[in-house]
Amino acid sequence: MEYVYSILILVGIYVILASSFNLIIGTAGLVSIAHPIFFALGAYTAGLLAIHFHLDPFLGAAAGALVAGAFSLMISLPSLRVSGDYLLITSIGFQLGLLQVIKNLELTGSQGGLNNIPTPVPGPERGWIFSAVSLAAAAATVLVIRWIVRGPYGRAIRAMRDDELAFVALGRNAMHIKIMIFAVGCAFAGVAGAIYAFYYQYVSPEQFEILASGTMLTMVVVGGMGSTWGPVVGAVLLLALPQAITFLRLPLAYMAPLQGMLFTLLVILFLFLRPQGLVAPEAPAPLRARRK
Amino acid sequence: MLDPAVLAQILWTGIATSSYMVLFTIAFALVLKVLKLWNFAQAGMMAIAFYAMYVAVNQWGLPTAAAIAFGLAATLAATLAYEVLGLRTLRARRSSSLLFFIFTLVCSEFTAYALTLVFGTEPVPLFPEILSPTRIVAGVAVSDWDLLAVGVTILLGAALALYLRFSRDGQFLLAVSDSAELAELYGIDARRAYLVALAAASVFACAGMYLYGSRTAVIPTAPLQLMLFAVIATLLGGMGSVLGGALAAVFLSLLQSYSVLVIPSQWQGLILYVFLFVTILFFPTGVRRLWNTSTRS
Amino acid sequence: MSAVLELERISKRFGGIVVADEITLEIERGQILGLIGPNGAGKTSLFNIVSGVVPADSGDIRVAGASVAGKAIHERARLGVTRTWQNMRLFRTMSVLENLVLAPQRYAGESLARLCFAPAGVHAADAEACERALGILGRMGLAQLADSAVVDLPYGQQKLVGLARALMNDGRCLLLDEPMAGVEGQAYETMKAVVRREAEAGRAVCVVEHNISFIKDLCTSAVFMSAGRILERGAIADLLASPTLAELYFGG
Repeated sequence: MEYVYSILILVGIYVILASSFNLIIGTAGLVSIAHPIFFALGAYTAGLLAIHFHLDPFLGAAAGALVAGAFSLMISLPSLRVSGDYLLITSIGFQLGLLQVIKNLELTGSQGGLNNIPTPVPGPERGWIFSAVSLAAAAATVLVIRWIVRGPYGRAIRAMRDDELAFVALGRNAMHIKIMIFAVGCAFAGVAGAIYAFYYQYVSPEQFEILASGTMLTMVVVGGMGSTWGPVVGAVLLLALPQAITFLRLPLAYMAPLQGMLFTLLVILFLFLRPQGLVAPEAPAPLRARRK
Repeated sequence: MLDPAVLAQILWTGIATSSYMVLFTIAFALVLKVLKLWNFAQAGMMAIAFYAMYVAVNQWGLPTAAAIAFGLAATLAATLAYEVLGLRTLRARRSSSLLFFIFTLVCSEFTAYALTLVFGTEPVPLFPEILSPTRIVAGVAVSDWDLLAVGVTILLGAALALYLRFSRDGQFLLAVSDSAELAELYGIDARRAYLVALAAASVFACAGMYLYGSRTAVIPTAPLQLMLFAVIATLLGGMGSVLGGALAAVFLSLLQSYSVLVIPSQWQGLILYVFLFVTILFFPTGVRRLWNTSTRS
Repeated sequence: MSAVLELERISKRFGGIVVADEITLEIERGQILGLIGPNGAGKTSLFNIVSGVVPADSGDIRVAGASVAGKAIHERARLGVTRTWQNMRLFRTMSVLENLVLAPQRYAGESLARLCFAPAGVHAADAEACERALGILGRMGLAQLADSAVVDLPYGQQKLVGLARALMNDGRCLLLDEPMAGVEGQAYETMKAVVRREAEAGRAVCVVEHNISFIKDLCTSAVFMSAGRILERGAIADLLASPTLAELYFGG
């Protein structure tokens, strides 16, 4: 049972990550791969606050979201000022640079990672409570993002992607929208990080490297960029895949690279054979003329 | 503390160490210039180059020259497949820069995973012996490797410069990098120019990995880190400029070497990223120019 | 009374090409100024400079007396600079109505904070914008097309949607970039009537147009540009009578 719970918790976490990453790259078209670092910021923030201040886990998650959202401005403000595509390089530099800092700071547990994060729910109930919270958070994330994308704000985002110059020439602030979407997406990743930290009680820096960006990218591309349910499907499918390989009973040394190869191969295949992903974007809520 | 002999030693070692970084940066900057592509697949090319040479030396026992030739052949074959099967399709579909980016990065990741599956995560050097004979010149220790590295880099750099300046293909390369559309109007085949640029990048990546691997043990993900240095140097060097990128690579390497004197070694890796952010905050104009031309074409 | 749009010694060059050389220009309320001249004279570039798409090298631009120099494109739009585009630049994945609803100087749905904390206000603003959009479409004879995808419309009607979107934006000065290119028949007459009415309602209008009869019918005055400079200004008839201009325009 504990095994099922641990899978459900991971599903919740990765649905949040994939959906929010999709909001950034799929919906808003912002080229960033730094999503794992915002996941990390949420995890480290929540973990540190729990260790040092015994902060309530929900406040911890909120703090994780806030810190991730705030740090996102460090990337988006300077790079979007220049050009949208520039974000990519900044995001990579930020991700690796901040990981360097985390790996060297005493406070964050250096290379060894952050240990002994107190769990908010000890005891036998832990498994199902965490699964419930994680899945609820995932559902809330998907619904909030769907609400953003289908409403008047999403309409503005679509227009911006159709023709950014015409969009700004009408008085729309495209830069503001991009910075906002980036911050919101990163804040969701922060929440996922907090859930991760509280459940595993241990966070290590290696899991947020560029290879982790690849995993999230795979979920979004395979699921369907720009679609609401695509990343959900992608996250579930790609979490199930490694579980399926475990039945092959291969030695551990082969497992990780094999899984990575499968993931990256899937991305390449989808890019060329089915660029829209498994789930195509749903049509936005139509704006109908109400005639009298 | 600031003993001139120490400073001179750091200068020389820094220059020698910058050699492979210069080679990687030239490869990256050249592809960016001609293809208008952030070629993150370069890490994959570099990994293939190294492990092909590694197999040739350590498992087949080939002589060095043959191993290099084999490494180069393997890299060229992989790069050719990458351009013809991958990039051309994306170009034909007028894919967004996001898709190009995902494709290039994922190629590198796939290569890293595949090589991990075969070779594991144990660091391996190209040759069993990684120390090379050293002599003292004017109080500075100079190893054979240092001389080879500096020599190869200068030679290849000069060859590229001459090639671009005087050969027909080189001229075409420059024309295409100015404007692929315009060049095609004048009957220059842009696809050929792309291939030539990628082939040249393969040569530089291979040479760089030979130098790097003959002094340091390599793991399959190491090229990703090395490539990021090249990316940052390219950015600092003013993007469209190959020479600028190469100079920036030397500058960054030296900065890292000298930083030993001032900051603890574990923080050295951070200097790169600090530089990246300083560039973005204060010198973004060089960057803007290239992005504009790339989105226009 | 003071002009709505004032350009003072605006200059701009791209490398060796001069697209604007000390251009000084004023447009008043109710005025329809025709901007004519050969291709490459710098007419569209002038629009780009005024709307902020391209920064001027020197000179000043004032809208209703306030300088907009150094302001971003969207800020200029909010101060009342509305423009259309030669190739329309409609939001191509959207319906006619959606194109218009997004166009007011202030779009309530643009603020995520307002959407979270005052959703009722945003939806009210949305409904009001719909209403206004339908009014504009109705006046242009496009009401029944409100829900059509813009890409499905014939070219002339797309041009009209472009103008309708600009009217929705409600700027006090209206820069129309070749509104008549490719437009004929009914759409042509509609376009003319709409532009005239907007000027009568108090907007300052500037039109770049190659269709001389359109300029003659509509404009109160005109300037003739060539190689980034204003060669002559005045009444249309006088301008067209000038032999040197005819030479430049039609002879080149």
